[in-house]
Amino acid sequence: MRQLFLGITIFFTTLSVVFAFLPLGTLALIPIGIGIVFGFLTIKKSEESQAKWVKILLAITLLSLVIVVGKEVFIDDAVEVDQKFETQKVQSKNEAQKELEDMEGLE
Amino acid sequence: MSITSGFAQIKPGEKLVFAASYNMSGLMTQLAQVTMETETMKTSKNTFLHLSCEAETFSKWDSFFKIRDLYESYVDPATLKPSLYKRNIFEGGFTKTEKYIFKSDGKTVVSTSKRKNSPEKNNAFSISNGTQDIVSLIYKLRMVDFQNFKIGQTKSFQLVFDEKEIPVVVKFIGKETISVGNLGTKECYKIAIGARTQVLKGKDKNIIWLTADAKKIPALIKFSIPVGTGQLKLSNASGI
Repeated sequence: MRQLFLGITIFFTTLSVVFAFLPLGTLALIPIGIGIVFGFLTIKKSEESQAKWVKILLAITLLSLVIVVGKEVFIDDAVEVDQKFETQKVQSKNEAQKELEDMEGLE
Repeated sequence: MSITSGFAQIKPGEKLVFAASYNMSGLMTQLAQVTMETETMKTSKNTFLHLSCEAETFSKWDSFFKIRDLYESYVDPATLKPSLYKRNIFEGGFTKTEKYIFKSDGKTVVSTSKRKNSPEKNNAFSISNGTQDIVSLIYKLRMVDFQNFKIGQTKSFQLVFDEKEIPVVVKFIGKETISVGNLGTKECYKIAIGARTQVLKGKDKNIIWLTADAKKIPALIKFSIPVGTGQLKLSNASGI
């Protein structure tokens, strides 16, 4: 049973780190939560000498939690000025004006 | 210049900014910013109201799935009857452009569309009187006088989307007080949108909240599409 819990902890700790660095927002809380729960369960099932590595995994998961919460609190969602898109909008408007003028000419 | 019909006023210079979220494994994740703007467009003979709706992914998402969508409609300022509709989408590398010219007879649409790696297609099809495009329909909804609607009361519209005319039925569900971005907390009309299309899913799962005042600002839009659910939440309204 300990081996199974340890495997799950390792998997979700890895996933927590990956999710924490991807722009997945609070979605990262899912692997983090599972990682923490199975981390504690693994510690409970472990001898004191075996618990050291699990505690390190748990610390990594908690660090991922701090990164995710920090990103949510301190980094605002922002849209960057996309020059290509801005040009496309102006172009589209100019084309529309011409098309509307053409339509009026046909009436 | 302001446009008044019923109780609604749609002015040029209006700008509504929404945060679009998508439901990922039960958690709403903010993906993009949606901006709806109005402005006057003058030609030598007419004055149009240019309604635009653009969607842009937040910069942190751009490297994973970049979205740059632009929907535009040029309408009669008084009636919101469309003359020209344009759609230009870029979604994670997929592109599609569409242009509908609404003929002055009010019965025909001439369309031009092009998908990525496909040749341009030209088409002409018939529409009913009063058919709207998707952008002008959202604004048209704001011109409905929901004040006297009873719960469950419906109103029908005709929408042209993907070169097909689709009947749309909106149903007044009731009133709810919700957060309306920088406008604080307001009482809103809760309206369910139903359409006979594959684009929208579920009964009463596509809902729009409009402020229960003369301006009827869209405060929240919840949608259910074949690939999941999401919402657009008003974050900032200006020029209203």
